[in-house]
Amino acid sequence: MIETGHFALVLAFALALVQMLVPLFGARTGNQKMMAVGSPVAVTGFALTALSFAALATAYASSDFSVASVWENSHSLQPLIYKITGTWGNHEGSMLLWVLILTFFGALVAAFGSNLPATLRANVLAVQGAIGATFFLFILTTSNPFTRLNPAPIEGRDLNPILQDLGLAIHPPLLYLGYVGFSICFSFSVAALIEGRIDASWARWVRPWTLVAWMFLTGGIAMGSYWAYYELGWGGFWFWDPVENASFMPWLAGTALLHSAIVMEKRSALKIWTLLLAILTFSLSLLGTFLVRSGVLTSVHAFATDPTRGVFILCILTLFIGGSLALFALRASRLTPGGLFHPVSREGALVLNNLFLTTAAATVLIGTLYPLVVEAFSADKISVGAPFFNLTFGPLMVPLLVVVPFGPLLAWKRGDLLAVAQRLMAAFAAALLAVLVTALFINGASVFAALGVGLAFWLICGALTDLAIKSGLGTAAPGVVIRRFAGLPRSVLGTALAHLGLGLTTLGIVGTLCFGTEKILSMRAGETVELSGHTLRFEGLYPAQGPNYAEARGRFALLGADGSTTGEITSAKRSYPVRQMTTTESGIKTIGFSQLYLSLGDEGTDGSVVVRLWWKPLVTLIWGGGLVMMAGAAMSLLDRRLRVGAPSRRKPAGTVPSASLP
Amino acid sequence: MLFWVIAAILTLGASLAVLLPLTGGAKGVSASSDHDLEVYRDQLSELDRDVARGLIQPAEAEEARAEIARRILRLDNPGPAAAARQASMATRLVATVAVLVVPLVSWGLYVKLGSPDLPSQPLSERLAKNPADSSVDELVARAEAHLAANPTDGRGWDVLAPVYLRMQRFSDAVTAYRNAIRLDGDSATRQAGLGEAIANAAGGIVSADAQAAFEAALKLDPANPKATFYLAMGMAQEGRLDEAKAAWQKMLAALPQDSPWRGAVEQALTESAKRSVASGEPANGPGAADVDAASSMSPQDREAMINTMVVGLDEKLRQNPRDAEGWMQLVRSYVVLGKTDQARDALNRSIAVFGADSEEAKKFTAFAASLGLTATE
Repeated sequence: MIETGHFALVLAFALALVQMLVPLFGARTGNQKMMAVGSPVAVTGFALTALSFAALATAYASSDFSVASVWENSHSLQPLIYKITGTWGNHEGSMLLWVLILTFFGALVAAFGSNLPATLRANVLAVQGAIGATFFLFILTTSNPFTRLNPAPIEGRDLNPILQDLGLAIHPPLLYLGYVGFSICFSFSVAALIEGRIDASWARWVRPWTLVAWMFLTGGIAMGSYWAYYELGWGGFWFWDPVENASFMPWLAGTALLHSAIVMEKRSALKIWTLLLAILTFSLSLLGTFLVRSGVLTSVHAFATDPTRGVFILCILTLFIGGSLALFALRASRLTPGGLFHPVSREGALVLNNLFLTTAAATVLIGTLYPLVVEAFSADKISVGAPFFNLTFGPLMVPLLVVVPFGPLLAWKRGDLLAVAQRLMAAFAAALLAVLVTALFINGASVFAALGVGLAFWLICGALTDLAIKSGLGTAAPGVVIRRFAGLPRSVLGTALAHLGLGLTTLGIVGTLCFGTEKILSMRAGETVELSGHTLRFEGLYPAQGPNYAEARGRFALLGADGSTTGEITSAKRSYPVRQMTTTESGIKTIGFSQLYLSLGDEGTDGSVVVRLWWKPLVTLIWGGGLVMMAGAAMSLLDRRLRVGAPSRRKPAGTVPSASLP
Repeated sequence: MLFWVIAAILTLGASLAVLLPLTGGAKGVSASSDHDLEVYRDQLSELDRDVARGLIQPAEAEEARAEIARRILRLDNPGPAAAARQASMATRLVATVAVLVVPLVSWGLYVKLGSPDLPSQPLSERLAKNPADSSVDELVARAEAHLAANPTDGRGWDVLAPVYLRMQRFSDAVTAYRNAIRLDGDSATRQAGLGEAIANAAGGIVSADAQAAFEAALKLDPANPKATFYLAMGMAQEGRLDEAKAAWQKMLAALPQDSPWRGAVEQALTESAKRSVASGEPANGPGAADVDAASSMSPQDREAMINTMVVGLDEKLRQNPRDAEGWMQLVRSYVVLGKTDQARDALNRSIAVFGADSEEAKKFTAFAASLGLTATE
């Protein structure tokens, strides 16, 4: 079985070569048959990659230690779920997941691309095949997950204990779906450049893919942030770690792309810019892959260290980013610019959004790469941390967030800023009220904290205002309002949801950063501690045995006002004998949207233990907002205007095009 | 063999995915301008919807409509979809190369990278094998699985501990010895073994913990050579070289001529003589020498180990006899070891436990018959 998987992988590589060359050649010469090769080959390539991945997952699930990567990253005593997630909890397996998702998206284009012009589809599949072929080659030559051991060892070296968590089941697949999803936008851009023309359907096709990739990337980043929050035991939700930045840069660029693609789709404007943005977004995804996979960084995620791999990925990076940008420089002048618009208009607002987001992405890029450059030229190791990003990224984001509610209310082509401002008066009043309430009634709230809360409420109420106005609240009868609300285009609902989610995340960040409290103290069994109105009693440390670890569990009782126990929190220190590593399992109690977070430190000789305790107000909103943003993207995907019809010759003019899914 | 069949089928499928579109009839493909027209129509109807919802002012909508109309007019007039250039020489050449690339690249690469003769080896299958065919590692894994299910089996820990020591899994050996001492009580051998494991886990340094274990061993058996040897090594490591030498010399005098410890002690003495000034460098004990041999255990050793495991199982069944699986395992083990009499004895005992008319007894008889064994001779 395992060798079948290896063979399927090699075969998928051969097919990727065909997919790269034959449709491209066909599109150049106008040969229908050659162009038609792309689709079946893409689908077959995906099936083979899936077979290969299934074989590797089976080897992991059944602890087949004759496979080197299983031996290095698994253990027979691990629970089955971590055996399976261990498949991508290592360099080789995660690269296989990467190409699996890449071929999956290629197969989707092949399966649902019947409404695309033939040459465009052939070129897209060819570019997709080229990306696939290089990554297959990378896997086969430098990171083959199917390398065998003979004789097979009887026991594995265990998975990195930090990764033995449900987070590994969710975070990497979501993140990769996001990263790799942008490859489709990239392929569409390069295909358009190869052809030297942008079809009208181009934007309608790129936008759903951007939405899909953006949705998964948002989820992947949110889940990754929550995972780091509870697993690392530091109580932080974002560390400006280079690996985190690696996923955040494509998100920022992708968000810009998402918005500029709307302009292009609705008004055929910003064509060239959108094209460039699509190339940049995927380039940042590739850069993220390089940063994480080459081992140039050393952090929690960077579990691969091998210079040959780094050089190989650097070559891939140069080939695709350099190649696509060179093609852009050559061909961009041939593309025709589109419609005109007034600076104060929906289009103008989206351009403003793009300016801020791309500048922010550039800021993060500098902060991430600067230490590497310094290290390369002077052998000094410096780190660029939160202070830099707070000084640069923060000031860029605040004005952007302030103007967000204006965007969806502005009219296309020419907007009336004053009228929009009047419509937003209610939202502004609500935000002002939030500022005053925060400043007057919450102890220790600084001016910045109050303004932060106000900004969050401004975003939330702005999103709701958008919906209220578009369904005619206040001007029409209630029955009409409900009917109009139900009849709103899905994309309007999606926009409002996504902006609402942004507001919630802002509220969570402001709440946690400005109103959070923490305590570090040494506790003995029976002692109590009080933090922000919550009283905890330490019940003691109890030893316990897990399947592949031993742990010391610290139990804490949450006491009510009358001294009775109202809940329990458990934090543990686990030690994994195989890797000789210790992890901290934080204890978390969710109260409303806030959390009480505690983690155990070192044990003293007198039976005491260091306890770190945090009160994190509204912290769950940070990730809850991310989920709402995902829901917004999903809602937008359901919009009917994203379903482009295929031409049929006998169709009477004016009928609604036949629906076909993106 | 099966693998090559599967590989051939996969290759065939992949080649067909390339070949079929190239040989099939060309379908009429619409020109890209038809697609564009479709989108522009859609944009026009959307514009109407936007006007109805007040998203765009009527004057601007009129302007936008004119923009779209201009784009429609600007569409190339394509004529019939290009189907002129078909099936030229180039097509055939590309088709041939493309179809050949798939099997050539895949088989060529696979032969270089793959291990087609190596079957999958899921752990459960490896552990279910006959013990006589198993490697030492597999036997240890099996014993570990047994101990994970019965962690209070002191005898099991006692058997496993020295094996761990020889496999250089020192921290496991420490745990195993501690469990054996806790469950089956103190003995000089176990304490000395524990000391050795602790010392080796620390890279050969005789720490305070190790010293305590060796001293406990000497209390139970004042002549225990391992404990004496390591305690002397501890002295040497602390820089008390003269005391260490004296202890080793005393030990050498007391050891019988054929003792395996003689060589180790003599070596330690010459080494300590070479080091005129003391240093903390760990010396090689006999444990380290044994370790080298452990990775490839001799057949005799392996048989000895299997014997101890079988005896352990027998003992367990005497105490806890209603374990049908255990009895069958025991009978099979004796048959494999060639101890037919003991196998028959075990079979009779198992039948006696469940009663001659029980389901189990029938199963046992049938099972024994499959091994070429009959009940009561």
